[in-house]
Amino acid sequence: MSHRRILVMLALAPLLCGTACRRAGMSRPLMVIVVPSQDNPFFKAEADAAAARATSLGYRVRVDSHDDDAYRQDNLVDAAIASNAAAIVLDNAGADSSIAAVRRASKAGIPCFLIDREIDADGIAKAQIIADNNQGARIVAAEFARGMGPQGGEYAELLGRESDTNAQVRTAGFHAVLDKLPNLVRVAAQSANWSQSEAFQKTETILQAHQSIRGIIAGNDTMAVGAVAAVKSAGRSGIVITGFDGSPDAIASIRAGELRATTLQPAVEIARLAVDEADRFLKSGSTGKPERQVIPCDLVTRSNADDYQDFEKVR
Amino acid sequence: MTATATRSRRSRRAAASGVRALLFLLRARAVFVLVALITLFSLLAPAFFTANNLTILAKHVAISAILAIGMTFVILTGGIDLSVGSVAGLGGMIMGYLLTRGVAVGGAEYFPPVVLAILITIAVCLVVGLLNGWLVAKAGVAPFIATLGTLYIARGAALLISNGKTFPNLAGTGGRGNTGFPAFGQSYFLSLPLPVWIMLVLFGVAAVVARKTPLGRQVYAIGGNERAARLAGIQVPRVKVFTYLASSLCAALVGLIIASQLEAAHPATGESFELNAIAAVVLGGTSLMGGRGSVAGSLIGACVIGVLSDGLVMLGVSEFWQMVIKGSVIVLAVAVDQLQSRVQARFLPLLLTAQPEGAEG
Repeated sequence: MSHRRILVMLALAPLLCGTACRRAGMSRPLMVIVVPSQDNPFFKAEADAAAARATSLGYRVRVDSHDDDAYRQDNLVDAAIASNAAAIVLDNAGADSSIAAVRRASKAGIPCFLIDREIDADGIAKAQIIADNNQGARIVAAEFARGMGPQGGEYAELLGRESDTNAQVRTAGFHAVLDKLPNLVRVAAQSANWSQSEAFQKTETILQAHQSIRGIIAGNDTMAVGAVAAVKSAGRSGIVITGFDGSPDAIASIRAGELRATTLQPAVEIARLAVDEADRFLKSGSTGKPERQVIPCDLVTRSNADDYQDFEKVR
Repeated sequence: MTATATRSRRSRRAAASGVRALLFLLRARAVFVLVALITLFSLLAPAFFTANNLTILAKHVAISAILAIGMTFVILTGGIDLSVGSVAGLGGMIMGYLLTRGVAVGGAEYFPPVVLAILITIAVCLVVGLLNGWLVAKAGVAPFIATLGTLYIARGAALLISNGKTFPNLAGTGGRGNTGFPAFGQSYFLSLPLPVWIMLVLFGVAAVVARKTPLGRQVYAIGGNERAARLAGIQVPRVKVFTYLASSLCAALVGLIIASQLEAAHPATGESFELNAIAAVVLGGTSLMGGRGSVAGSLIGACVIGVLSDGLVMLGVSEFWQMVIKGSVIVLAVAVDQLQSRVQARFLPLLLTAQPEGAEG
């Protein structure tokens, strides 16, 4: 008996014991929730809602974020496989670049439930539940057009990060409505990369270049709130501004009469749905729903702003 | 004295003045680029060269210029400060916390008045600068690594303060006696926005410190040859700590300005600002190796970047092209910088031997 063997056994002992103890304790199954980031209130609300529902259903929960980096997402999925997760709830890092990761998890026997963003493949994930970005964009664009009134006029568009699918879907939805109205003229379109301070600066410059602008349609609320600050700082009034997402800041701004409207993505509802379906799948082998599910967005204006809070209809 | 000797001396003098002119053009390249860009955008966008737009442009330039002024000192010593963007974000969040949540003093909530809150914010940001300086000067960590670390630490801290949320409504409330913060970034003095004045004052102080004070000369000396500086009795660690403190102070001011302009503090504010600041410094002719460069150059570099991005927005150029163009300008600037060093090194003997007319004894 060499010293080395004893050492190896000593080193392995806690590991073996740990596994055994965990098995014996029949600890609760683990649900891994992966979202893009937690510094964005939208993803934070989604992650918190999923975590709360999973905890209440008796799961252990781990929340990770991939920062829209497909490679990082890959590593997080590997980590979920390694820690023997029962299910993964994933807001993925890209429609194409996430397919491999979801497939690997499924092969390892871990069902994936996608929220907020789809992937370009069927039959790999157990569910893909998203907000209807196209419908949301259309209803907010219609409200924007109503705000601009029958005389119409010039408007600017603040786009999200141009490589992001949601940015593309939203602008397509906006234009499906606005391009039919001949008296609405888009005179400027700039990406502000979903960022408030960037939207502030770019709006200031756009307002200089186009003095007669009467409206600003933004691809998300953060940019819309930045545009509101820029309009205020330029001393302009009567400019119609709309957002997208239904963030608490935007809803406060709607209440204050600065922002005309936004569209609320039911992020909280979607996160809960995904966890419920994961739970049902783990218990019965089926979610009882088709894989692709699209949840409609709600239009939030001054008249119903009090009904919404933290990405959820509360009344 | 023979005729041939006089002739050769004359031709050497002519060559030397040619080289001097070339060097001047190379050194002043940022100014030429700036003038060219302003002319170009004024021709293409009618609203560009108006008092209103130039004011707004100056306000946008102030953000990267303030960061660049602080960054210049760090880079002059041969260091780099990657943490400024995160520190700006952290500064905004601290201010947001102080204005909307207050601090618990003896069980009661206390809302510090705006001036005090600003000072507290700056003090906290200076702690990050002190940490940077200590890591680089005392612990011997490479500046790139040390400030990369504090980049993450400060960003994480900013996120932790609000648990990832935005602090909205930084206007303060009368009952708490903490109104007035929006004036910091939004008010005007002599028809220039306050942030522009902050930039100008910082620039004035920094330029005097860099050129006229022993401290400033020590910064250059360390960047030129750290070992020689140490042997000459310069307190190298102390000077380095000063540079990182200056950089953090500037970052704190930027964070406060942005939070004040938006009347909101978002924890992700300032992401990639450090790259803009470094680009401005490099465009302004400061060498990343240290020892060579100027604060004025950085200010002009920041103007180039600001004019470029605002002008392209006015022309409606897509974000993707904006990135390509900005990157190209930076790369070109550094290439020209290399050319300048080579020309200088190649013709240094000529410049030293060929004295200007009338200078010979």
